[in-house]
Amino acid sequence: MHEINKHEPSVNDPTQARTVELFKEQQQSIIQHTDRLFARIMVFQWIGGIVAALLISPRTWAGTQSQIHLHLWAAIFLGGLVTSLPVLLAWTQPGKTLTRHTIAIGQMLMSALLIHLTGGRIETHFHVFGSLAILAFYRDWRVLISASVVVYVDHVLRGMFWAQSVYGVLQAPIWRSLEHAGWVIFEVTFLIISIRKSLSEMFIVAERQANLEAMKASIEHTVEQRTVELRKSESLLEQAQQIARLGSWEWDIVADKVTWSEETRRLYGHAPGDIGFTMKRCFDRVHPDDHERAWRVIEDATKSGGHFVCDHRVVLPDGTERIIHGRGEVILDERKQPVRIIGTAQDVTERVRAEEALRRSEEQLRQSQKMEAVGRLAGGVAHDFNNLLTVIGGYCDLLLRQVNGNDKLRADAEEIQRASDRAAALTRQLLAFSRKQVLQPRVIDINEIVGGMEKMLRRLIGEDVDLRTVFDAKLGQIKADPGQMEQVVLNLVVNARDAMPRGGKLTVETANVYIDQKTTFRNRGLDPGEYVMLAISDTGVGMTDEVKAHLFEPFFSTKGVGKGTGLGLATCYGIITQSEGDIRVYSEPGCGTTFKIYLPRVRQSATAAPIAREPSDLPRGSESILIVEDDIAVRRLATSVLRSCGYEVQEAANAIEALGLIDAQLRFDLVITDVIMPQMSGKELYTQLIDRVPQTKVLFISGYTDDALAHHGVLDEDLQFLEKPFSPAGLAQKIREVLDKTPALLAV
Amino acid sequence: MAIRLSFRLAALLCWLLISAAGAVVVFNYESSPGSSGSTPLRWPENAPIALDENRDTLVMFAHPHCPCTRASIGELNRLLAQAAGRVAAHVVFLKPSEFSSEWTQTALRRSAEEIPGVDVRDDADGALARQFGAQTSGYVVLYNNHGDLLFHGGITAGRGHAGDNSGESAILALAENRETRIAQTPVYGCSLLNQQCSPEKDAALCTK
Repeated sequence: MHEINKHEPSVNDPTQARTVELFKEQQQSIIQHTDRLFARIMVFQWIGGIVAALLISPRTWAGTQSQIHLHLWAAIFLGGLVTSLPVLLAWTQPGKTLTRHTIAIGQMLMSALLIHLTGGRIETHFHVFGSLAILAFYRDWRVLISASVVVYVDHVLRGMFWAQSVYGVLQAPIWRSLEHAGWVIFEVTFLIISIRKSLSEMFIVAERQANLEAMKASIEHTVEQRTVELRKSESLLEQAQQIARLGSWEWDIVADKVTWSEETRRLYGHAPGDIGFTMKRCFDRVHPDDHERAWRVIEDATKSGGHFVCDHRVVLPDGTERIIHGRGEVILDERKQPVRIIGTAQDVTERVRAEEALRRSEEQLRQSQKMEAVGRLAGGVAHDFNNLLTVIGGYCDLLLRQVNGNDKLRADAEEIQRASDRAAALTRQLLAFSRKQVLQPRVIDINEIVGGMEKMLRRLIGEDVDLRTVFDAKLGQIKADPGQMEQVVLNLVVNARDAMPRGGKLTVETANVYIDQKTTFRNRGLDPGEYVMLAISDTGVGMTDEVKAHLFEPFFSTKGVGKGTGLGLATCYGIITQSEGDIRVYSEPGCGTTFKIYLPRVRQSATAAPIAREPSDLPRGSESILIVEDDIAVRRLATSVLRSCGYEVQEAANAIEALGLIDAQLRFDLVITDVIMPQMSGKELYTQLIDRVPQTKVLFISGYTDDALAHHGVLDEDLQFLEKPFSPAGLAQKIREVLDKTPALLAV
Repeated sequence: MAIRLSFRLAALLCWLLISAAGAVVVFNYESSPGSSGSTPLRWPENAPIALDENRDTLVMFAHPHCPCTRASIGELNRLLAQAAGRVAAHVVFLKPSEFSSEWTQTALRRSAEEIPGVDVRDDADGALARQFGAQTSGYVVLYNNHGDLLFHGGITAGRGHAGDNSGESAILALAENRETRIAQTPVYGCSLLNQQCSPEKDAALCTK
C-alpha cells in the first residue's frame, strides 16, 4: 500500500483529495459489486452442494435398509447455514468490511463442505483456490487473510481431531497443516501482489480522472467567466444600442433568414421572440412610400456587393411612424457570391424632426427678419408718406370745400384727392402686412361686419360668382379692429373671385369652434380654447403646395405683373396674427380653396361703432389747443383747420418746445402731438406733461407708431389716437370727440 | 454504532459456532468407523474363492448401494494399479436373496468390474462376508499365497473419503514385500447388516 499512502490527500491540494475520494469510490464500488457477485455464487454453491449430495450420496444403507444420507441433510442445512449470513449481509450491507470478511469465511467453510460432500476429491480442493482468486476481486488483502486463517484453522483442528480424514493417517504432525496452508499462502501471496498492483493502477486512474475533473472544472470556470463577461458585454452593447437607438441585423441571403438585435426588434416593432423572418416579411414594416426604393437599394447592393445606406420610414403596429437610418454591407463568399448582409438600423426620427423644426424655425426667422426689414422700410416710408398725404389730402379737402361743383378745378382736385386716398390705402397695407399699423380693436360681431359688407361684396365679385353666407346665429364676439377685419374679408373675397375667372361658388361661413389641444399651422400655434371661425371658400382653381408655401409672403402673387400687389394675403396674415388669431388655408389644385380664420372668442357684448358724421360741416370749438408736430406742413395744415374751426391754437415744432410752453405757465385744453419726433417722442412728452399737468387731454397723431404707443400695434385703450393721413374733417371730429368726452377733466 | 457492530460480531460468532457444530457432526459421522467381525487368520478351506497360489489375495466386501464405498472402489483401483499385478483382487457385493440380481447391478458394481483383473461376484445373503468377518461395506482382507491373514480393515480415510490412507499404504507395502506395522485399519462404510441385527445373531436373517 506504499504507493497509495504516498498519495495521501493534502488539505491544500484539492486534486489529491479528489484522487483519494475517487479511488475510494471506485474501491467501494468494486467491493459492493463483489459482494453481490459472492451472494449469487454462494447461493449457486449451496444448490450445487445439494445437487452433489443428491447425486453422490442420496441415501445410506444398512443391509437391505436405507435412509437419507447425512450428506444430504448437511448439504441442505449446514450448507444453508453457511450460505445464509454472507448472502444476507451482501444484499443488506454491501461494501461493509464485516460483510466481505463474513463472505470470505463462509466461502472457505463452503469449500470444506463441498470437499466433504464430494468425498474429498482432489478436484474439489480447487474450489479453495478458485474462491481465493474470486475473493481477490475485492482488492482487499485482509479478506484473503481471513479466508486463509479459516483454511489453516480447519486443517489444524481436523489434523488434531480427524487426522485420517485430512492427511490419510491416524495421527498427523502439526507441520502437515503448515504444508497444506503453504499452498494457500503461496496463492494468496501472488494474489496480494496482484491486488497491490491493481490498487496502484486504480489510484493512477483515479488520479487521472481527478486531474481531468480539475481541468474540466477549470475550463468550465473559465467558460462560465467568459460567459458572464460575454453576457455583460452583450448587455452593455444592448444598452448602448438602446441608448443610441441603434440596432444591428443580419440577413442570411442563402437561407433568407433575418436575425436582429433587441434594439432592432424594438425599432421595427416586432414582438419579443420574433426572429428568423424572411427579408420580404421584414419589409412589411417599411412605409409603403419607401418600400420600393428601400428594396431597390438592397437589391442593388446585393448585386454589386459593397455597402449601402438607406433612410426609410417604418410603420409600427400602433401606427406610429419612425424614421430609420439604415446602413449595411454585403458579405461575399470565396466565389464572390453574396451570402450575407450585415447592417445597422438607427432611429433618427427625433433628429430628423428636430432638423425639420430647426429648418422651419430658420425659415420663420428668415421670414421674421424679412418682415422686420420690410416693416422698418414700411414704417419709415409710412411716417413720411402719411405726413405728406395728410398735407396733400388735407389741403385738397380744404380746396374742395372752397370750389363749387362747376368749377373746372374741382375735378382736378378730386383726382388729387383719389390719388391721395389710394396712396393712403397702400401705405396702410404696407403697415398692415408688416404688422406695424395701429389697431384700435373693439368687441365686434363678425356676422355684422360681413353682413354689412355683403352688398358691396356682391358687386365686387360679379354675377358669375354665387355668394353664399352661412352665419352661425349664436356666433360669439371677437375683439378686433373692425376696419381691418373688413380689409381682411375684402382681400380674401377678391382673391376668391380672381381664382374663379369662369365663375363659381363663394361661401362665407362663420361658426363657433372649440380647439381642445394645441395645434400648429405654418409654425403658428393656437392654444386650446374657444374661437370664432370665419371661413371663406371658393370653387376655384385651387393651389399647389408650392403656392401654399409662399402664400402669405409679401409681394408674392400668382396674378401676373400689374394685376396684384402681392400684399393682399400678407396684409390679411398680418392683421389676423396681430389680432392673436390665425389664418389657415386648405386647398388642392382644381378643388378650390378654403381660408379659415380663427380669432379668440371674448365674453363681452359688442360695442357700437362711433357714428361717423359727414364732414360737410366741421365741428367747431373755442378751446385752446397746442399742436406738437415736427413736420411743418402737417403742423400748419392742422393749425389752419383748427383755427378755422374757432380754436385757439399754439404750435410747437417738437416736444422740448412744447414743454417750454407748458413750463411758461401756458395751459391748454388739448395737446395734439405727433408720436415719432426727434429728441423726444410723443409718448415721452405725454408722460412729462401728465407729471406737470395731470389732467391735460392728449391726442396722438401718427401714421406709424413703432410701438411707441401700442403693444404690438394695439393701442392702449385710455389713449386717444388719430391715424395719419387724416382729413380736416376727421381731425375736427376727433378733436371735438376728445374734448367732449370728459369735459370736467381739463385743468388748464 | 458500537452496539450495532457488537451485534454484528455476535451474530457472526453465533453463525460461526453453529456452522462449526454442524461441521463437527459431519466430521464425526465421516470419521466413525463401521463394525468388524472376527476375521480368520487363515484362509478358510471352504471359501468359494480360491486362494491365489502365487501372490497375495485381496477380497473386498461391498454393499452395492453404499455411496461411501465408491471411495473404497476408487482407492482399490488406485492400489491395484500401484501393486501392478502382485495382488489377486476380488470384490464381493452383498446379494440378499429377497432381491433380484438387478439389485446388485449398480454403478458401484460397474466401477468395480471396470478395474482390470478384479473378480467381481455376488455374496448371497452375505455368507462369504460372515465367513471372513466382514460387517461393513469396504472391508478388505488380504492373505498371502500361503493363506495367512496379512491385513484386514478399510482402505479409505473416512466415510466415502478418497485420498491417501494408512490401509491402502499398508496393503501396498505388503504387496511389495515391504515392512509395515499396520495390519488392521478402521473401515468406513455402510453396514452390511440390517440395523436391528447383531453379529452374534444369525447373519443370514439379519440381511433379510
